[in-house]
Amino acid sequence: MPRPHGVTSLRILAAIRDRATYGLEIVAETDLPSGTVYPTLGRLRRKGLVKARWERQERADDEGRPRRRYYELTPEGARVLREGVERIRGIASELGAAQPEGAA
Amino acid sequence: MTAPPRGPRALLRLLARIVPSDERSEWLEEWEAELEALSRTNEAARTTGARPGERSVPSPWRFVAGALPHALWLRRERLHLRGAVQDLRFGARILRRAPGFTLAMAVTLALGIGTNASLFSLVDGIALRPPSGVDRPDRLVQIARSYDDAPRWDNWSWPAFREIARADDVFAGVAGYRSASLLVGEGASLETVSGLYVTGRYFDLLGIRPTTGRLLQPADDAAPDGPAVAVLGYDLWQRRFGARPGVVGETVVVGGRPHRVVGVAPADFAGVETFASEPEIFLPTGLLEHTGVADPLSRWGYSWLNTFGRLTPGVTVDDARTAVEAVSARMRAASIENEGVEVLLASGVGASPEERTEAATVSKLLMFVGLLVLLLTCANAASLFLARATARSPELSVRLALGAGRSRISRQLAVEAGLLAGLASVVSIPLLGISGQLLPGLLPSPVSVDFGVDARAVLAVFGVGLVAALLFGALPATLVARRRLGGTQRPTARSGSARNARLRDGLVVAQLAVSLALLAGAGMLGRSVLAASAADPGFEPRGLLVGYVDATRTGRYDPAAARELYSRLAESVRGLPGVTGVALASQAPFVGPFTRRGQLPADRPPSDELVVEAEAYFVGPGYFELLGIPLVAGRAVGGPEDTGREVAVVDRTLAEAFWPGEDPVGRSLRGIEGPVRIVGVVDEIRTRSLRGPARPTIYRPFERTLSAGAMLHVRTDGAPLDQVAPVRGRLAELAPGVPMAATADLHRAMVTSLGETRTFGTLVGLLAGMAFVLAVVGLYAVVTYGVNRRTRELGIRLALGAAPGRIQRAVVNRGLALAAVGVVAGLGLALLLGRALQGFLFAVEPASSTVLAAAAVLLLGVSALASWIPARRASRVDATTSLRMEDTP
Repeated sequence: MPRPHGVTSLRILAAIRDRATYGLEIVAETDLPSGTVYPTLGRLRRKGLVKARWERQERADDEGRPRRRYYELTPEGARVLREGVERIRGIASELGAAQPEGAA
Repeated sequence: MTAPPRGPRALLRLLARIVPSDERSEWLEEWEAELEALSRTNEAARTTGARPGERSVPSPWRFVAGALPHALWLRRERLHLRGAVQDLRFGARILRRAPGFTLAMAVTLALGIGTNASLFSLVDGIALRPPSGVDRPDRLVQIARSYDDAPRWDNWSWPAFREIARADDVFAGVAGYRSASLLVGEGASLETVSGLYVTGRYFDLLGIRPTTGRLLQPADDAAPDGPAVAVLGYDLWQRRFGARPGVVGETVVVGGRPHRVVGVAPADFAGVETFASEPEIFLPTGLLEHTGVADPLSRWGYSWLNTFGRLTPGVTVDDARTAVEAVSARMRAASIENEGVEVLLASGVGASPEERTEAATVSKLLMFVGLLVLLLTCANAASLFLARATARSPELSVRLALGAGRSRISRQLAVEAGLLAGLASVVSIPLLGISGQLLPGLLPSPVSVDFGVDARAVLAVFGVGLVAALLFGALPATLVARRRLGGTQRPTARSGSARNARLRDGLVVAQLAVSLALLAGAGMLGRSVLAASAADPGFEPRGLLVGYVDATRTGRYDPAAARELYSRLAESVRGLPGVTGVALASQAPFVGPFTRRGQLPADRPPSDELVVEAEAYFVGPGYFELLGIPLVAGRAVGGPEDTGREVAVVDRTLAEAFWPGEDPVGRSLRGIEGPVRIVGVVDEIRTRSLRGPARPTIYRPFERTLSAGAMLHVRTDGAPLDQVAPVRGRLAELAPGVPMAATADLHRAMVTSLGETRTFGTLVGLLAGMAFVLAVVGLYAVVTYGVNRRTRELGIRLALGAAPGRIQRAVVNRGLALAAVGVVAGLGLALLLGRALQGFLFAVEPASSTVLAAAAVLLLGVSALASWIPARRASRVDATTSLRMEDTP
């Protein structure tokens, strides 16, 4: 059985759960240091949990800025995230500190 | 558009160099875009006044700092993915292609690794590991007593034990045990096993669970007259009871009395003492009443119980130390026999602090010797590896020419070294199994430790393997990086390989030095054993047979009847052919059972400082004449005239301790049994070991003996052990079923009293032999290599008329020159080793010039021989063939 994903990975997966987004957004949303976010994204990509794509050049040109690389969840990534959240909920309730529903 | 700040952008460009080239441009593009987005966000925040705390955006510098771990991660990942797998595959192929080299390396390294791992498991067993099967051994404390200036780890009497158990504020419980050799079974199935009398909470405090049935409990203690019960050790259960689970409730005969088996101890439990035989049967201490010891449970003066306690949770050893001071005070107040008594505590069980210090000394020494052997095998391996790398120079040159980096080639060689060390580690695991079986036989005294191959041992193997790989693999790898291997020069060019040849010379010198040191160490230990054989212990040990008889263990004799039996036995043995004299005593020098008693002069008020611990011998008539111990004043004891009288003979050491320069005859000593009058003085004898000063000794009449057995001393005119069977025959006639144990040739016992010296001698001797062979083979290889390299030159010189004898001498001299440098360096190492071994030497100086000279001569002689073989070949080189030959690199 592979090692379960750590909290850091899960937080990054959760940050891109609903929409594809770029690195800075993830840094801002998770409040993790950039030195953690980018290597972790790299690892998650290698494992096929995250997909990366460059935005279209025209769109960047429209906004007058360089093009950005966007990250999004793969179906496998979505599954790992779901399982990870459940696992953490399980641990939390075992510790007698069950979180209110919806607080991920 | 917002321009990102310049500084962070410059830093990004710099960091991009770390990223693997094919990913570099995308990496930089992404980070620049992110940095731009960051500037935008910050700008927006400034103009609109964003609510603080809602979203945290780092400063540009901090954000860009994260690019470093990202870049490093990409670089590292690349190394792992591509390099490692490829290196491993290539390395394995290279090694497969040279099976002879691979085998030689694996065997050499396996010797070094296996030796070190074996030494580790020995050290682990005697000094590091807590007793097996015991729960939380760190919460246990040994409780011992001291009653003079030098703390000594002695055991307790039953009343003292009860007093200690009252300290229940610091101890969750206190338990005691005493080992005893017990007779199990009846008739033909009679055997002597090592047993343990334990108090009720022994098993409970150790956290031991039974294999079947139950273990002993406090209730078993309470009823010494109740039905006798016993717990079987796992091995005894397997051996005598066929491992039947239904053994509970069956009867086992111990010491002639039936005992009901209540349970079986677990397999991994071997008692708590490291330096003792594994107990095979456990009995409640209450049953000791039946062993012939008079009143063992009520006397302060009879100490026999080894004691340990489990600390109450939250209590530290120091807390407990403070608390037991009150116990010491209560004991001193309770009885005059507790003069100066003090309770000592030490954390853990297994070995007493004295034994631990000794084990630590031994361990350090073993580790030092192990390190020498490891260095030696690594030097050998490095030398082989270097020779091979030199031979592969053309291949390495081609790879360099094709664009491989030097770091890449270094790494390749390091990977090969790692593979070889890994292979050697695997090979050495079976070696470890073999040594684990041999180790106990090599040790001077029984241990309860299992030296089998376990996880710790395997871990040690691979740990040592790793160190070995680093030691011998680092060298060639460094040489490649320093351009001394695999140069771009033609394969026949000389500069690099000549320097490497010098390096190999250096390695051989190192090997010779280490092997000289080990040879010298083995020589010193060997001479100590020889010296021990010729030593004078103060009596004549040659031709003396001793044997221990304890008739009370059968349950059919009380102490008085047993003593009467011993006298009849002595009379009967006296009539045997070949026997020239017989005497009885309570113990024999070097054999035991060793007994000490505190003595103080009766003519002075008692005080702690006056107490002298003297070896207490109880001897029968004719004892001093039989052993040849000269009487220097007064008369001997043991004859019928002493019946009922409290008299004693002391040795000169004890007399000098109390009455220096005066005549002690007529004065009195106060022992624990009351005052005794001194009637004679004898010369001192060695009682336990040949090493150190003689111990003060007191001799009292045998009828006063406190132990239930007797040591029969028989002087023979032939080989002592030849008389064992006739003596046993006489005993069987007088008292069928009473065994005689501990039969020994006293001279042999004296020599083996230096058991650790013998153990070390054997170990160091084995290692020295191995080291010697490796070093000489190394020298041979280096000289041969030199001759091969010079084949053409030698051929020309011979063709031009050089005398073959001169060429031979030149080659031999070169080998001898190396050996001489090795000897000089080795002498220094030998002095170091000698100093480390000092405590194990007997009548030999650590820097014994004879031993050092002998080792040097041996090494030089064999080196000359090892050089002479290639030298002879060199002098027979045929000029024409040599000229046609290609150069060997």
